[in-house]
Amino acid sequence: MSSTGTGIQPPPRVIQAARSPVMASAFAGRKKVLPIFELALLIAASIAPLVLRDYITVYATRVLILCLFALSFDLVWGYAGILSLGQSLFFGMAGYGVALLSRDFGLGSIFAVLPAGALIGFVAALLLAGFLLLGRHPSSVVFVSLGTMTGAYAADRLARGSHYLGGQNGIPSIQPMTIGSHELSEGPGFYYLVLAILVLIYLLSRFLLRSQFGLALAGLRENEQRIAFFGYKVQHLKAIIFAISGAIAGTSGSLYAFHEGFVWPNMLGVVMSTQVVLYVLFGGSGTLIGAVVGTAIVEGLSFWLSDNYRDIWPIILGVLLLLVILFRPLGLISLVLGERERVGRFGPSLKEKRNAAP
Amino acid sequence: MDTLLIAMFEILSFGAIVVLVVLGLGIIASMMGIFNFAQGEFVLLGAYVTYLMHSVGLPVPLGMLAAPVVVGALGFILEKLVVRRFYAAPIVAMLGTYALGLIIREAVRGLTGGLYLSVPEPISGSITIGSLHFAAWRGVIVIITLLVMAASHALLAYTSFGLRVRASLENPQLARASGISTGMIYSLTFAFGAALAGLAGALIVPVFSLFADLGIRFLIQGFVAVMVGGVGSFAGPVAGASVIGTFSAWLPWLMSPVIADVLVFVLAIIFIKFRPQGLISGRGVNR
Repeated sequence: MSSTGTGIQPPPRVIQAARSPVMASAFAGRKKVLPIFELALLIAASIAPLVLRDYITVYATRVLILCLFALSFDLVWGYAGILSLGQSLFFGMAGYGVALLSRDFGLGSIFAVLPAGALIGFVAALLLAGFLLLGRHPSSVVFVSLGTMTGAYAADRLARGSHYLGGQNGIPSIQPMTIGSHELSEGPGFYYLVLAILVLIYLLSRFLLRSQFGLALAGLRENEQRIAFFGYKVQHLKAIIFAISGAIAGTSGSLYAFHEGFVWPNMLGVVMSTQVVLYVLFGGSGTLIGAVVGTAIVEGLSFWLSDNYRDIWPIILGVLLLLVILFRPLGLISLVLGERERVGRFGPSLKEKRNAAP
Repeated sequence: MDTLLIAMFEILSFGAIVVLVVLGLGIIASMMGIFNFAQGEFVLLGAYVTYLMHSVGLPVPLGMLAAPVVVGALGFILEKLVVRRFYAAPIVAMLGTYALGLIIREAVRGLTGGLYLSVPEPISGSITIGSLHFAAWRGVIVIITLLVMAASHALLAYTSFGLRVRASLENPQLARASGISTGMIYSLTFAFGAALAGLAGALIVPVFSLFADLGIRFLIQGFVAVMVGGVGSFAGPVAGASVIGTFSAWLPWLMSPVIADVLVFVLAIIFIKFRPQGLISGRGVNR
């Protein structure tokens, strides 16, 4: 309508899958910031528990779990352009699922509960995607966001009203997670476990998004119609990435349940799912590292500020979010990463190509 | 028989409240193509203005008159400063207005100290017809809703302002070429939608009392109603709001409130899935 719009959310405008060798050599000399940045973050995260006090390590563990959750939202919104405002549904359902496994069946082994959580998230996301995304009419973004939001709201209400699920109070005092005979409680041990899982899932997502599947997704986000004309089954692509992201959210939710030791209805509801939107927009959607950075910054700031400025902290957060959306639509990560690196490359690297074709 | 009449009055008055809340949302969504996530907070702000006027000793009806003016003015300013940047990207608009809503909600939460604050009904007591008693204020809400609905429709359908709004909606380029300042029209339309939300908040605050999450309660309901009714026309959101309001008030008589609440939304989403254009698929304002 009006021509004054500035914001472009699902970010990159350029896809550079097939670049000509001439162009490639022109840019070959550029320094890469992203791997250095990722490595620096990883090193900082690995030595953190050694220098931080214990209660901060516990807090940092929670932040890492939330990073995992943010990754799951980033996959659907930043890479496939599905605005899921009910991502907490999978997070919370998995949390409740493993809490019930622990309460009613005494299951606490990490090799049972984490796959169970991921499976719950995966199945729930697949079912919801089957209803919202598949079908004769292609669904509009507004419909999908409304549908997912309603799902989260409904789950929240039902959990609050259900006696079996503990009503308003949720399920308290979950037994600690176990590895073999070792009980895993809060602290550096749990921290490193979560860090390992986060790095693993980060790398898997990175691999997935840099594959041909990722290229199709990026095309889908940029121009859904064109991808459909190329013969891709657009709705299936969306459903697949939605289900994968559900599995990641489920993993994160089950870790959260065992780390906090309780689950409650807010984990399922709109509050939690708007929280994750905030993290990702803040850090920069469409880059995996953006989701992690955004979560760390928002949670770090809130840890520091909510002590001293408890009342106005949510207002500050809102103002910051608005400023980022208005003036840095690509998120804070765009301060560090250039456009070219943010978009990245797809398929086999140029070097391999050059070696293959002498 | 008596219970049935009472139930019907309850359903009618709740339906009226939902229509009142959704009207502003629907006008902004239909006329401007923007889903305003801050609409619930405009309702909250209207309620807060009424409470504020009441707490400094002014009569409540005066507060209710002031609320739409204050909220409308704020809407105008916000449109000029923030919302107009989003027209090219409706999805970003949802996120941007969500941030605006967050700021307003948390500001009100800070100002009220997170408490539930009550505002007395300007017209209290009940109307007695035969052996039946109806809450007078709810009756007033029904009447005002009907008046506001008629006035909004008249404004959009019969005045020269309405003509300009419809022109800007249907063909912005041509409207601009004909000398209509579309930017101004969008500002005024957004302000009008915000003012309606402010009025809604002012009228319902005696019923629901004032608390920071008052707006969220209506936000999802409002969106579902607009989608069920159909975006793009004046009648669509009104029809959707009537349907959603009726079901929301009627189903709790049949089953537990929690199930009823969830069921309304689930049914609505299923309906939208199979009829994405909504109940009324027309565009514009019918005369």
